[in-house]
Amino acid sequence: MTPQAPATTATRPPVMSVRGLTKDFTSGGLFSRARHRALNAVDLDIPHGRIVALVGESGSGKSTLARCLARLEQPTRGEIRLDGQDVLRTQKRGASRAYRGAVQMVFQDPFGSLNPVHRVEHFLRRPLLLHGKPAQESDLRALMTTVGLDADMLQSYPHELSGGQRQRVAVARALAVDPRLVLADEPTSMLDVSVRVGILNLMRRLRDERSISMLYITHDLASARYVADTIQVLFAGELVEGGDSLALMDRPAHPYTQLLLSAVPDPERTEPYDPVRRAALRAAVLTPESCPYTAEGTCSRTTPVRHVIGEDDGEPHWVRCHLYAPATPTARRVLTAAVPETENG
Amino acid sequence: MTSSFDGPVLDVRNLRVAYGGDGRSVLGADDVSFSIGPGEVFGLAGESGCGKSTVANAIMRLLKPPAVITGSVSFKGRDVLAMDPRELRAFRWREIAMVFQSAMNSLNPVLTVGEQIGDIFTTHEKLKKRHARARSGELLELVGIDPARLKSYPHQLSGGMRQRVVIAMAVALKPSLLIMDEPTTALDVVVQQEIMAQIGDLRRELGFSVLFITHDMSLMIELSHRMGVMYGGRLVELAPAKALFAEPLHPYTQALMGAFPPLTGPRVHLSGLSDAPRTAGGCGFHAVCPDDRSDCSHHIPDLREVAEGRFVARTAGGPR
Repeated sequence: MTPQAPATTATRPPVMSVRGLTKDFTSGGLFSRARHRALNAVDLDIPHGRIVALVGESGSGKSTLARCLARLEQPTRGEIRLDGQDVLRTQKRGASRAYRGAVQMVFQDPFGSLNPVHRVEHFLRRPLLLHGKPAQESDLRALMTTVGLDADMLQSYPHELSGGQRQRVAVARALAVDPRLVLADEPTSMLDVSVRVGILNLMRRLRDERSISMLYITHDLASARYVADTIQVLFAGELVEGGDSLALMDRPAHPYTQLLLSAVPDPERTEPYDPVRRAALRAAVLTPESCPYTAEGTCSRTTPVRHVIGEDDGEPHWVRCHLYAPATPTARRVLTAAVPETENG
Repeated sequence: MTSSFDGPVLDVRNLRVAYGGDGRSVLGADDVSFSIGPGEVFGLAGESGCGKSTVANAIMRLLKPPAVITGSVSFKGRDVLAMDPRELRAFRWREIAMVFQSAMNSLNPVLTVGEQIGDIFTTHEKLKKRHARARSGELLELVGIDPARLKSYPHQLSGGMRQRVVIAMAVALKPSLLIMDEPTTALDVVVQQEIMAQIGDLRRELGFSVLFITHDMSLMIELSHRMGVMYGGRLVELAPAKALFAEPLHPYTQALMGAFPPLTGPRVHLSGLSDAPRTAGGCGFHAVCPDDRSDCSHHIPDLREVAEGRFVARTAGGPR
């Protein structure tokens, strides 16, 4: 199995590229070690100045991937290349300060990620001082303005701010050290609807004005489509589909992507999603042996490789599914509820 | 369901909840009126702090002083606000059951699921433990969980399964009305879809009505028959869900719908909800209202019927 490296549209090399990233968690006592593979051979490029969305349901490994990239977890195997340098090899014992400056993270819960005993000012000044950057009052005020907050709030405590304002502070904290890549782990899922779009718009603005790359982790597909340039679908620790976000949502290819998409409430859909079709998708996803779409459980015998099935805006749309192997006569197939005819296994 | 009462299951009239305190009081709900028919799914939408949960808690009589409740809540013709504690005990769960916002955490972590479900039957139906256990098993099967799970503790179940257990408990005594306060907020989309489908099946099977509270407009429009939009403690629009989706009339409803990115079509820029704060002097939305209804600059006006079954808060008629 030689996965093709995902091509990038940007002329500049990707800010971060990940190859074969694998993470195992062990559980149990000394003598009964159980291993759980949270990430399996993930290949991912995050291009310069673009937002990549990583979608998948709970437990698919989204957050583990982000934590590995932020070097909060030590991956079992694989490469994480920042500007072509494999940081897992050169910085074995933890990330260097330069790496931490270049890669910043925004966490899910703005209520838990800000220490309640400090003023907002403290959260912004500290990273600046740690990374040896000027930390004058004017620098802090500029940061507040960037994220759309009133500079007078520097003297406020977190409990005096709303959830949306706190999350903006968390973004400002991440921006303080001038990162090239921001890892945003479900930054809007704890927020009220009234402020969600504001945070999403802030992310888009930072990409456009400051060319910051972002990995946006979410299970909200509509927001991923709204904010991200490309979407990568993570299922049980493996990337199964990726491509331009509009194209991928219009023509989802992998059964898992279709399952995810079918679960999103959509008022425009005139009738409820066909339960038979859902059940077939669910079966296909859970047990590759009984996937009704491939003949004789091809997925369980050989791991599918990436097949490119289309291209939009120079962004290849790829999927890991045997149905889309180049040998099949049609380049793209629509999965239907009925068991399809068996063609070339 | 057993009663032969053939009006609306729940009728809320001019409900007003004031949270009093040291010399100041906050209106949680102000003059809210709506009714829910038999077997109907009624949705209540709005952002945090708009009073959705206050309305639900007032219906269940869960609010204690300093909250002051006025208006009327009648359930199948009985006045809920006038019930004494003994009547309330019999009324809650058997007539109206509630699934709370943090249902995931509303299970007791030190008791097994079986003990907690069994409690309902031993308390309300005076069943023997053994019978209660059998009934609990049936109940778990109803929501698609293996009855062997009765011996599990809540932490051994996934978030979706815990939510299912809580829903099973809510429908245990076959209530006529189920109140669900943000039942799926903490779950991911696939689980959310499965749970909502399950509630739909149960509703068809058992025939209860649902008061469904969420801020997710897309989910609500897909699931409910009629819905109300709340803003600042007041209902600003009341309409059949599909009609409201096709043509939202109140500017707040439009703003709320504009806060959800679409799944199809070209990428558009969303502005989200306007930041105009609601002050004592205006509803915060009068600035964006068309001229013919700009008279509400001092308060959110009462609902008026503008078309068959469609109510919107505004002072003057206008074309629609």
